[in-house]
Amino acid sequence: MSAGQAVQAGYKNVYVYLDGEPAWSKAGNPTYAGYGFICQGNNVVIDLRSTNKATESRIPRSVSMPFDTLEEVMDEIPLKAPVVLLSDNEQQSLAALKLFKEEGYKKVSLVEGGYYGWKRLGGKLIKGPVITEVTWKRKMAPGEVSVADFQKALANPAMAVILDVRTNEEVKVGKLKGSQHIPLDQLCSRMDEFLSNIEGLTKKQHIFIHCATGARAEMAYKELVKNGYVNAKFLKAEVSCEQNDCDIDE
Amino acid sequence: MQKQVFRMLPFLIIAAFLLSSCAEDASQSTKAIQQNVSKEQKIRGPVYKGRIVGKSKKAKTLSLEVGKGAKAQTLLLKFDENTKGIQHATKGHGVIVTYKKQGKDTYVISIKPKLSKLPKGVSRIDTAALKTLIESESDFVLVDSRPAARYGQGHLPGAISIPVCEMQELISLLPKKKDTPLVFYCGGPT
Repeated sequence: MSAGQAVQAGYKNVYVYLDGEPAWSKAGNPTYAGYGFICQGNNVVIDLRSTNKATESRIPRSVSMPFDTLEEVMDEIPLKAPVVLLSDNEQQSLAALKLFKEEGYKKVSLVEGGYYGWKRLGGKLIKGPVITEVTWKRKMAPGEVSVADFQKALANPAMAVILDVRTNEEVKVGKLKGSQHIPLDQLCSRMDEFLSNIEGLTKKQHIFIHCATGARAEMAYKELVKNGYVNAKFLKAEVSCEQNDCDIDE
Repeated sequence: MQKQVFRMLPFLIIAAFLLSSCAEDASQSTKAIQQNVSKEQKIRGPVYKGRIVGKSKKAKTLSLEVGKGAKAQTLLLKFDENTKGIQHATKGHGVIVTYKKQGKDTYVISIKPKLSKLPKGVSRIDTAALKTLIESESDFVLVDSRPAARYGQGHLPGAISIPVCEMQELISLLPKKKDTPLVFYCGGPT
């Protein structure tokens, strides 16, 4: 632990904030993005200043959403996207931060010192017409299958076994055509027996796992990989079914 | 220098108050947990210590990561309405789990939060006291111990980045004056 090393190095007033960054943010306090993350992170940088000011001078990849239009246009930003806010007015940044948190955005940070802080830091600024379109795409986690590949496997069963790990009750309402089903809570006890009943299945078989959101599918994925099914993958998407008709939403 | 100490004085008095009680609470509850665990170990058998990486209320299933580095493993555990302390199963949090085997399933008897034991000479600070300290603009150093990428995504005001693993090499970034207050933080109780 770093704090212990500091004590060993002779520091006399050493504290640890055990609750950490999540508790700090949850209490409504701002956090600040680092330089590299602002320049090239997988995020959306929002410029809250007026279009005129942003046209004059702005961070190259920033998207213009003037504060007074924010409530109307912020839903163009996917909820899961990390957001970095830039303004030339600290109060405005904080008000926008509050708005984003209330809308359910979880990863929102500010540029330290706002526009002027960025300028002082020597951060790159450009001139010209502003960007208003959000093009952010989520990066997939290890073991994830894309919605596109999942759809392909649905159309072409030879590509992968589709494994549904939702509860019996959920499956009664509807399921994906051709999918296999084993509830997550029975996976440990029935995995061997269940998978050995699928014709031609080996440990190298591609298995695409889904549930209703991706949470259970991810847990099942880890369990399958642990048991040697090296080509198991999980779908992180909303799946809602009515009989054989299912919607898959990212 | 004198001016700085003078400016910090009101804070230090408040902080001394807050911190002494916090540190006491923490050590007491840690002790309580240790006692409980050893008691349950005797009565109910084995425990897992690890980090919650997944939880499904619908499937009444937890995913717990145990072990470190190459030995890290994710376990699938079952729980039900009789499992004690299920509210402590929050994604990302460190927990101590008592369990029993039921055939190929592992059933969770109880869950308790794993509290980090503070090294000797280190005190705990809470959100309110830290906020006061930051807003007082007094002379102190705030250190983010998380990986640099996490620091980049969002760090506390004025924090510097010294990831845990790089502490040895980067300890020179800390101030020369050894009585400067240092506050370390990371990603919560993991």
